[in-house]
Amino acid sequence: MKTEQLLEEIRDANLTYLLLAQHLIRADKPQALFRLGVSEHVADIIEALSTGQLLKIAGTNMLMCQFRFDDEIVWNLLTSHSEDRSRNMMSGVRAAMLMSDQLAEAA
Amino acid sequence: MAGKSVIDDAREVRRATELVELGARLQVLETETKLSRERLLRLYKEVKGKSPPKGLLPFSTDWFVTWMPNIHASLFMSIYSNLIKSSELDDVDAITKAYRLYLEHCGTHDMEVVLSMTRAWRLVKFVDAGMLRRCPCTRCAVRFVMRSDDLANQFVCGLCNVPSRAGKTNAARAEREQRDELVVH
Repeated sequence: MKTEQLLEEIRDANLTYLLLAQHLIRADKPQALFRLGVSEHVADIIEALSTGQLLKIAGTNMLMCQFRFDDEIVWNLLTSHSEDRSRNMMSGVRAAMLMSDQLAEAA
Repeated sequence: MAGKSVIDDAREVRRATELVELGARLQVLETETKLSRERLLRLYKEVKGKSPPKGLLPFSTDWFVTWMPNIHASLFMSIYSNLIKSSELDDVDAITKAYRLYLEHCGTHDMEVVLSMTRAWRLVKFVDAGMLRRCPCTRCAVRFVMRSDDLANQFVCGLCNVPSRAGKTNAARAEREQRDELVVH
C-alpha cells in the first residue's frame, strides 16, 4: 500500500514537472533553458513529446527532475536567511550568479 | 521604400515596442532597429504617452564599477551570458530577455531595480567593445564586471569586500526607521 502511494506521488510530480517544462519551452525557449537548466537538445525532445508519451514517462518509479546543484556553496546561499536585508540581498545575488554561470559552463 | 518586407517591418516594430516598454531610450532604439527616427518618435509617444527624454546617454564605464551598480551589472551580465551561450539569440533579444529575468530577480528578492534597460544595453556594448569584462573574484570565484585595464590577479568582489558605508543610504535609513516604528507600535 505504502509503495503504491509513493509511486503515485512520484507519477504526479513527474507529470506536473514535465507539463510545466513543456509549457515553459513552448512559451519561450531561451528563457526556459535558463529556468530549467537543460540543454537545447533536451528541450527540443521535451517539446516534441505527445501527451501519451508524457504519461508513459511520468509513470516510471523514478523522478524525472533532479536537484540542480552538487555545490554546497549554492545550497548554503539559498538557505541562509538573516535579519539584515542587505545580507539577504547579497546572498541572493551571489546564488543567482553562481547558478547561471554553472549552467552556462555545462551547456 | 520598394521591396521592403512587411513581415520584417512588423518584427522591427514589435522589437522597438518591447524595448520602449522596458524603458530603453531613443538612442537604443535607433541603434538596434532599422526604423526611421520619425517612426520611432511616434512609437515612443504612443507607448509611453510622452516625448522621449533628450540629452546624451551615460557614456562612462565608471558607473558600472561603483559598489551597488556593479553587483546589479554583474548579475545582469551573468544572466545575459548564460542566455547567449545556451541558445542562439540576437544581441537585442538576448538583452531584453536577460533584462526581464533581471527584473524578475529584483522582484522576487525585494531588491530595488538599479540597472535601467538603457544601462544594461550600454553594459553589453562596453563588454563587446572590450572596455569592461567579467572577471572571477579571487575569494568567491563568482565573476564580476570590472574595467578591462584593471588588474585581475588580486581582484576581490563587492560582495566579499563590502565597503563600510555600503547600503547606508538615506532611503535605507528611512526604511529602517519606518520598520522600527512598526515594531514599537
